[in-house]
Amino acid sequence: MQLGTVIGPVWGSRHAAGLDGRTLLRVELDAGGEIVAVDGLRAGPGDRVLVAHGSRVRDLTVGAEVADKDVIVALVDGQDTP
Amino acid sequence: MILGRVIGEVWATRKHAAYEGRKLLLVTPRLFHGPRPVPIVAVDVIDAGVGDQVIVCVGTPARLASGGQNLPIEAAVCAIVDRVELADDVGRRPLTWLEGA
Repeated sequence: MQLGTVIGPVWGSRHAAGLDGRTLLRVELDAGGEIVAVDGLRAGPGDRVLVAHGSRVRDLTVGAEVADKDVIVALVDGQDTP
Repeated sequence: MILGRVIGEVWATRKHAAYEGRKLLLVTPRLFHGPRPVPIVAVDVIDAGVGDQVIVCVGTPARLASGGQNLPIEAAVCAIVDRVELADDVGRRPLTWLEGA
């Protein structure tokens, strides 16, 4: 699971059926790079988020029909790194 | 599995129900590719803390270690490491071994 910051939403008029009504968010990862994750928590631009990856995570959170294996599972309030 | 060091804790109020009551730890791998290690976040299942050297399991083992087949958890801290013994060539390129971490 990785930490990142939401950049903003992605829209597509033509998409896989499983993505109907889903919010896809561009997330810049702390580790570097950018991914598009499914939002289940109503995250917005600038929010710090925890992104989990994998089909099982996807199945158990947003549903098996969703064509994206990166899911936002938590909105991060802060981190304590002494 | 990833051998790493706990470098911090992550706080989240709004989260998936499966994460309720769970501690999230930030772990830096000790052996890594590339210019710098990439910290990952893992659910704590053994009461590890900052500074501990730990093993993070990823995928299905992480879900099982967290208590169930049906948990959307990708990574879990599932062991505290007491000692590591290394071969002489560990950390040779392209891998880097984080000394004294």
